[in-house]
Amino acid sequence: MECERFRKLTVFLEPIASLVSGGLSPAIAPPARSLVPLVSFPFETVYVRSIVAVSLYVSLCAVLASTLVSLPVALLVGFNDFPGKGLLTAAINTGMGFPSVVVGLVVLFAVSSQGPLGELELMFTREAMILSQFVLATPPITAISLAAIDGVDGGVRDAARALGGTRLDVALVTLREARYGIATAVLAGFGRAISEVGSVLIVGGNIAGVDGVSKTRTLTTAIQLEARQGRYETAMVLGILLVVLVLLVNGIVVRIGDGGVR
Amino acid sequence: MVLRARDVAVSYGDEPVLEGLSVGVEAGDVLAVIGPSGVGKSTLLRLLALAETPDDGTVELDGTDAWALDNGDRLRLRRRIGMVFQEANLFDASVARNVEYGLRVRRLWSDRLRDWAASIVGPSTPTDAVTEALSVVGLADRGDQPAGSLSGGEAQRVSFARALAYDPDVLLLDEPTSDLDPRNTALIEEAVSAARDRGIGVVLATHDMHQAERVADRAAVLLGDGIAEIGPTDRVFEDPNDDRTRQFISGELVY
Ligand SMILES: Nc1ncnc2c1ncn2[C@@H]1O[C@H](COP(=O)(O)OP(=O)(O)OP(=O)(O)O)[C@@H](O)[C@H]1O
Ligand SMILES: [Mg+2]
Repeated sequence: MECERFRKLTVFLEPIASLVSGGLSPAIAPPARSLVPLVSFPFETVYVRSIVAVSLYVSLCAVLASTLVSLPVALLVGFNDFPGKGLLTAAINTGMGFPSVVVGLVVLFAVSSQGPLGELELMFTREAMILSQFVLATPPITAISLAAIDGVDGGVRDAARALGGTRLDVALVTLREARYGIATAVLAGFGRAISEVGSVLIVGGNIAGVDGVSKTRTLTTAIQLEARQGRYETAMVLGILLVVLVLLVNGIVVRIGDGGVR
Repeated sequence: MVLRARDVAVSYGDEPVLEGLSVGVEAGDVLAVIGPSGVGKSTLLRLLALAETPDDGTVELDGTDAWALDNGDRLRLRRRIGMVFQEANLFDASVARNVEYGLRVRRLWSDRLRDWAASIVGPSTPTDAVTEALSVVGLADRGDQPAGSLSGGEAQRVSFARALAYDPDVLLLDEPTSDLDPRNTALIEEAVSAARDRGIGVVLATHDMHQAERVADRAAVLLGDGIAEIGPTDRVFEDPNDDRTRQFISGELVY
């Protein structure tokens, strides 16, 4: 009787099982494992996945490093009056519009064998790309953070000090008060980093291995390559992924900003 | 405890605000600073709070010249002083976190980090000192409210509670009741009297002569060129030596 019941069960499950396994079999699904049913794309998932991974890795590292440099600089400039402050601020603001290809060229020279960083052999590596995106992301993050920090009411700083805060406490209070502006700054820096093509193309070389795994190929450099070679669907999917990534990171940063209100 | 400004001078640009001014407050003493708007009452209190550096002269706590010290030692002096600014200057955080601030910065970083981590996981309960300070100003049940959503008078009272919470040796109050109704004004005045009874020295800048008469042991009248008159409050109001003080108090002196 037990046996009978089991047999019935398998009979019942069989169609489902075949559906599931069939759904995964290469014979039915195209090798592309397309994101949209009924449309197949001429690329492998590993390819796209590795490109997304490289893009995120490079841009997140660059933005993290930029933020760690920008915030102390913005605090120092914002808290102190010194001759040339206006000039420095103007220089930082100008840096926001620095052309990425020029930054790419400079970093390329720096990491080339004759350059000051030649020893490190960074040419065509992700680390070189991080370096160039760091250079690109730092001015906007510093400039926007500085504006946000300048906008914090001096009375709040006075209060923090009068209540017994150390200089670090006053700095932390200021950062907290400026948190929305700083979140905007980080987002602007991330947007600049992940969406630029020029410098990562020059210092990274847009390299993918024969196995289809990206080494220094990012979403942006892949898009321009795919588009140039006429693979518009792939370029389009990569483009959509890029936009989705930026939206996702925006959402996360805004959530973190809101969470810090308490 | 003696907090004293000695021959202090402050100027903004070419405009001198205070010149050669000396004034002090002792433990259990309430000093009212009165004078016309723009005469430098807030500037004087900011000097006493070590929030501003004098261009000349010294600010001394128990005989120690605060601005001759290095940052760390000056911080130790500053931590004995409670200052309530003319503006509420609240942090963009809950009322409880605002009031807790003075206590928090006095604790060890290891404890602060642990509390910070705990605050991410769940809500924290305010300490007794915070609840106590808030109940003094009649806002005991408002701990969770965001400071930004308070009314002007509520914000002013939270600002007062913030300075009270860490139990300083001296309280500097810059027009602490300017936005308050009579009932809440009475609350603050009671708190000032209670502070005096605990041995706290108080400097109170105010435009309200009656308030000065109600709470202050001594009054200092600040007119254009310095302290015109200083002495026991009753004497200053009823029998001023200085002619302009008499005119100012009776409302005849118009700036
Ligand atoms: N940061 C500053 N820069 C320039 N001038 C200033 C500054 N702070 C204060 N002053 C000026 O110094 C003078 C004294 O200001 P203060 O705030 O001490 O006056 P007050 O007696 O507190 O006035 P009120 O009763 O209106 O609060 C005013 O004329 C003011 O304009
Ligand atoms: Mg004032």
